[in-house]
Amino acid sequence: MKNKFAFLSCMILMSINSFSQSISSSPYSLYGVGSVYDSDFSSIPSIGSSGIALPSANYINNLNPASLGYIPQNHFMFDLGGKAILTTFQSNSKSEKRNNFQFSHIAFAFPVTRNSGFSISLHPYSSASFKISNLKLPVENSSENYTLNAIGTGGLNKFDFSYGYRMNKKLALGVSGSVLFGNTTDDRSYAVEKSVTAISKQTSYNGFRGTVGLQYKIDSTFTIASTFKLPALVNASKVQSIQTVADEVVTTIESDVASDTDDYYLPMEIGFGISKRFKNNLNLIFDYEKSFWSSTNQSELYGKFVNQDRFALGFIFKSKDNRSYWDRIQYGTGLNFDTGYLEVEGKRINNSAISLGVSLPIENTFSTLNISYSYGQKGKIGGGLIKENYHKLSLNLSLDGIWFVKRKIE
Amino acid sequence: MTILSCGTDTDGGEFVVGSDYLAVSNKVILIDTVTVEMSTINFDSLVTSGQSRILIGNYDDPVFGKVKSESYFQLATDNYTLPSEGSDTSAPNYVFDSISMILKYDHYYYGDTTKVQTFNIHRVTQKIKPNTDDYSFYNNSVLNYSSEVLGSVSYKPRPKEKDSINIKMSTAFGEALFLKIKKREVSDFGTFSEYLKGLILVPSSSNSSSVIGFNLTSKVRLYYSKYLADTETSLIKDFTISETSKQFNSISLDKTGTLIQDLPVSNSNLSSLLTSRQGFIQSGTGVACRIGFPNIKQLKNISDKGAIVDAQLILKPVNNSYSEKFPLADSLQIYVADKLNRISSVLLNSAGNSVYGILNKKSDEFNENIGYSVSVGSFLQNEMLRKTDSQSALILTLPGISKSVDRIILGDQKHPNNKIQLKIYYISY
Repeated sequence: MKNKFAFLSCMILMSINSFSQSISSSPYSLYGVGSVYDSDFSSIPSIGSSGIALPSANYINNLNPASLGYIPQNHFMFDLGGKAILTTFQSNSKSEKRNNFQFSHIAFAFPVTRNSGFSISLHPYSSASFKISNLKLPVENSSENYTLNAIGTGGLNKFDFSYGYRMNKKLALGVSGSVLFGNTTDDRSYAVEKSVTAISKQTSYNGFRGTVGLQYKIDSTFTIASTFKLPALVNASKVQSIQTVADEVVTTIESDVASDTDDYYLPMEIGFGISKRFKNNLNLIFDYEKSFWSSTNQSELYGKFVNQDRFALGFIFKSKDNRSYWDRIQYGTGLNFDTGYLEVEGKRINNSAISLGVSLPIENTFSTLNISYSYGQKGKIGGGLIKENYHKLSLNLSLDGIWFVKRKIE
Repeated sequence: MTILSCGTDTDGGEFVVGSDYLAVSNKVILIDTVTVEMSTINFDSLVTSGQSRILIGNYDDPVFGKVKSESYFQLATDNYTLPSEGSDTSAPNYVFDSISMILKYDHYYYGDTTKVQTFNIHRVTQKIKPNTDDYSFYNNSVLNYSSEVLGSVSYKPRPKEKDSINIKMSTAFGEALFLKIKKREVSDFGTFSEYLKGLILVPSSSNSSSVIGFNLTSKVRLYYSKYLADTETSLIKDFTISETSKQFNSISLDKTGTLIQDLPVSNSNLSSLLTSRQGFIQSGTGVACRIGFPNIKQLKNISDKGAIVDAQLILKPVNNSYSEKFPLADSLQIYVADKLNRISSVLLNSAGNSVYGILNKKSDEFNENIGYSVSVGSFLQNEMLRKTDSQSALILTLPGISKSVDRIILGDQKHPNNKIQLKIYYISY
């Protein structure tokens, strides 16, 4: 147990360290606190990120804390993931490909009592990486232009503590608390007439958000579930420096001046999910989630926010037989459609993706190696928008504590 | 782990969505409605000694009035004796021939050089000695001189084509000077300057068309001959301007009947409201244009926080106020002054270098683009942030303010055709 703890601590430290290096530069990262990551655990990426109604029976389900009520006793679960993403950015006139490898998450969960469980996870929440080169923009109140160069980095991380409790054979409840923290930097340079002004801003964020969830088994094959995420305030403060270069001389206008800036608001979000098993080998999952971004009255500093609808549909197939290794492989596929919460140039930035994947069992335990592929599109071409076509390969390792014990005994 | 989370990003930065949004946190605004006050002032006096130019002539300016420049200088020579050679028995005999003034063009001219210009040479009857503590003479300094004309010239100035003009001077004057030297009554600079205190060139009021500059290699040349035995040798003695501090130009302006005839003393201003929406600059006579920015502090209210990152002041010469005869100078000289027009410094940019107004000569059909642009960003940023109520103004002059008579007429903010423009580039943060 001691070794295990040391190993996990080490992993967590390393992953915190690596967060800062995560790069996912999307033109849409300019907005809000950056582009929000999906960092679903285990096989969830293969089923269109659906699963509010799925139990944490043989892996950690990050979509609903109530699922932790189903953690089997004497199991210690661990989940670690990463993604490789190939994105093609397309505008009216050009296209560009970018590769990107990301750390996705690290999490562990364990049963507290026979009918309750606890999990801790850490994952990047958003990436504010973007780059703007030599963009000509109009000088307000004139027909002249200035040239903007900008680089954004950083993003927010999320630390989740979740607890799920199974009240009875039918109902499980859960609660989870998320700490959001991180920094973004935004360095811009404005070439106006014969001067160049550099505005360098570092914004620090921290906030807390609570989520409650429930899962209700109508019968042994049919579960309905819901999650309710509370609106939350993410405190923001900035440190800013401004320098103007004119006549080849630097004049400092502001140097590391700390000030409050507009806080970021997370909306109330309500999710519903169902899970229905057919013929004991096919599972259909459907989730719907609505995020009430309009009511957050987000500062225009973060962009224009609109209410968001997310639909996720997934299918899981697993052979009834359990004789060979191949029988124990689980297959999943799914669809995801998301209307997005941003409105840019008067248009929503929606996202749709299809996914498929396999869960490969490791030895004779609940441990699996999950490989998922998804193809998606975000945004669209024209009207000042950019379309992102992405191929995403997720690799999630879900380890079961019994596996550790066994190795130690050998 | 670390490798897993590293990107192999090659973001060219060419994909940007939402240009409007980019201006939310930092707006770049052009402000061109700030009030610019224009007025004309008159400097008390300008130091005109030591400028190394003999400025001589007069012309009637249709706008400014009658401009006149007289030039004073003191002469000296290397050796106040005639060459002594030969023996007692055969001493040479020296005979005066003639005397002339040779004025060398320094290529400065203003006015109509196609017309005949006349000026006379007189003897200064007062010692050429500055009567102030700073050993300078001013554009309004005047010394007594004799009414006797020692030489006179009427000529069509050709400052670009010719090197010099030659003025025959009075034989009586030359002979008298020659005898003084021959008799050794003048034997050194002391006795010479006592005898001939100085000369003044005075333009005649009979014709009035141009002002011309001559350089200080100009001289008075005395021609004489040496007779020894049967040979005759022609010789010369040159009297030159040895001390530039003892040469100065007295430049005057008769403004009677002009728009600026009521130009007040140097610490007050004549608003452009009273001079047909115009500001005036004239070198030599001390007329200068003053530009004030009375409301610049209000820019602080545009946004919570903001900075002037650049600003251009564009000054337009009034149409038809300049011509080939009255050409536009290539640049304007800019000074910073207080409300009493006391100059504190030249206008400096953030690097501490002088800022000039640079003439844009790109002419178009209506001369709309002709103007001087001055970078005033750093000046206005400081003015905007100034904690006290006092305000600085800019004083505009032309280069060569102390040794020429160039002039310019500028339009103010309400001038019908040639409005002064102020473009302030402001970033909110």
